[in-house]
Amino acid sequence: MRKIADRLLGAAVGALCLLSVLILAFMVFFIVRESLPAIREVGLRDLLLGDQWRPIIYRDAPSYGLRNMILSTLYVSVLAVALALVLGVGCALFLACAATERQRALVMPCIDLLAGIPSVVYGFVGLYIVIRAIEACGRAAGESILAGGIVLSVMILPYMISACCETMVHVRERYGAASRAMGVSRWYMAGALVLPASRRGILISMALATGRAMGETMAVMMVLGNAIAAPSLLGKGETISALIALEMGMAEVGSIHFSALYAAGLVLMVLLFAINIGFELVKRKLSREGSL
Amino acid sequence: MNRIVKKWSALLLAAIMLLSMAACGNNDAPSGGEPQNGAQTGSDVQNGETQTGGDVQTVEIDPQIHFCGSSSLAPVIASIGAAFQDEYGTWDKVNAAFPAEEIDIAVTSGGSGDGPQSVLDGTADFGMLARSVKDGEKESLGAGYTEYMVAYDALTISVNKNNPICGLMDDLDTDTIRKIFSGEIAYWDELDASLEHKEIVVVIRDLSGGAAEVFEKNVMQGTPISENAIQSASMGALAAKIAENEYAIGYAGYGVYNQNLESLYAFKVNGAEPTEENILNGSYTIQRPVLFVINRALDGAEQAFVDYIFSDKGRQIVVENGYIPAF
Repeated sequence: MRKIADRLLGAAVGALCLLSVLILAFMVFFIVRESLPAIREVGLRDLLLGDQWRPIIYRDAPSYGLRNMILSTLYVSVLAVALALVLGVGCALFLACAATERQRALVMPCIDLLAGIPSVVYGFVGLYIVIRAIEACGRAAGESILAGGIVLSVMILPYMISACCETMVHVRERYGAASRAMGVSRWYMAGALVLPASRRGILISMALATGRAMGETMAVMMVLGNAIAAPSLLGKGETISALIALEMGMAEVGSIHFSALYAAGLVLMVLLFAINIGFELVKRKLSREGSL
Repeated sequence: MNRIVKKWSALLLAAIMLLSMAACGNNDAPSGGEPQNGAQTGSDVQNGETQTGGDVQTVEIDPQIHFCGSSSLAPVIASIGAAFQDEYGTWDKVNAAFPAEEIDIAVTSGGSGDGPQSVLDGTADFGMLARSVKDGEKESLGAGYTEYMVAYDALTISVNKNNPICGLMDDLDTDTIRKIFSGEIAYWDELDASLEHKEIVVVIRDLSGGAAEVFEKNVMQGTPISENAIQSASMGALAAKIAENEYAIGYAGYGVYNQNLESLYAFKVNGAEPTEENILNGSYTIQRPVLFVINRALDGAEQAFVDYIFSDKGRQIVVENGYIPAF
């Protein structure tokens, strides 16, 4: 009897697992299939490297160059992860090494709450605080890669802090007693022992945060300005996800424009896969070297 | 997690689009196939209406009316259709001579070109357009062609009320507007030397939308819009951007401009103020007609719904959507 129940459960769980893998496969298949007409028509090279996105035929032929959107996506994400890294690692280090158990139990849920705020709300805050602040510094328009990076960095902060803090607490628990016994000061231990030993955890948190940053749409769309020009720190830009969100509703079904938007989605997906694989490789190398 | 949600919503969106395509391509045999019959029942309705008292003569109608075409008119017709359904529910409530079937007003949104095309293919009863009907289209639709002008849609060239240019200039010609939006005139002091040397922040709708099309046709005429222009996701966001940034200029729709009169200032274009009168008589040029067409006589149900569109209720919905009623 017991055996049958076990077997049933095993089969059910296996089927569910298979189903989710199939869903992923179906999605990849669907996106690739929809983007093929654009890749065939425009050519992969022009699609990826072309710097002109003019999807509607006016006088000249339309052109579908995604280069500026790809650059904007990378620019904003890297900026956001860099800003969040400084803030997040510092915060996690404090929570792991200086805060008491009770303080940590109080602060961590608050930080996790940041992850639950809808992205539209972040967009609003960005629109009315970050953008205005940049405009107050003398720029005519505050919409910029910088504004996007600042807003995004706050959005990915909770992911970084949780992941880093967890690793750092482990490290401290393992070596804390020994280093105290040797009379090492708390901050020396934090800087010379906990921080380097948590490299792998920090890296994982960065991978998580990068994924989230690159896919984020709403908040970034609200503060980036969505200009198709090449991005610069104080200039406007448009991410791939914003491009899809803005234009998908209007694109004629079955047109090259429609297909090119799917191709943009495919590019985003491939970028994310590549970045995740990169992080994974570095992580493996680090774990061979024995960091947590 | 977020990525997955987004992928799914894209998938859902795609599914909806496919469905609507299927709806557009679905052959509506009774309405599209037998125009003669439709014309006949139209005249029968008149009889039905005169003798609603005693024995009711039932009239054959197609309970579904299908509109296909311009995404600018689609929401208006959809709201009017919903109001019509709410008010009557079944066709026999509209006219006792009609069968007691449920009212079904289907609206499929696409491009203006889809409007006449779907009527021609017989896949929709009415085709919606947000531009004038081309002569070729009129010709191919044949002798039964009728057009119903619903409204006009216009774009204002608006700036923030606090921009000092409001006291200096009140009129821009098409050429200047084109130069501003293409980035050739990039600083306010190039328009008037007394203004600050500040970047002109150009705000537009996304490049593939209906508003972008009107602006392209009436102003840009092939000149590409500046790459630095901010693309807003909606007319509301565009107006909010101008209301919030003193250095911004943008093409706010007539409806949204009138909702933000206290914070926006609209220029005259080539001497014509963007007023209802000027838009209707054509002297304000950044505008387009919004209409629907059919290539045969209406049946009773269609006539009843068309009358409803051109009623006070329909007019109110047209105004709510930011358009200027043409009736």
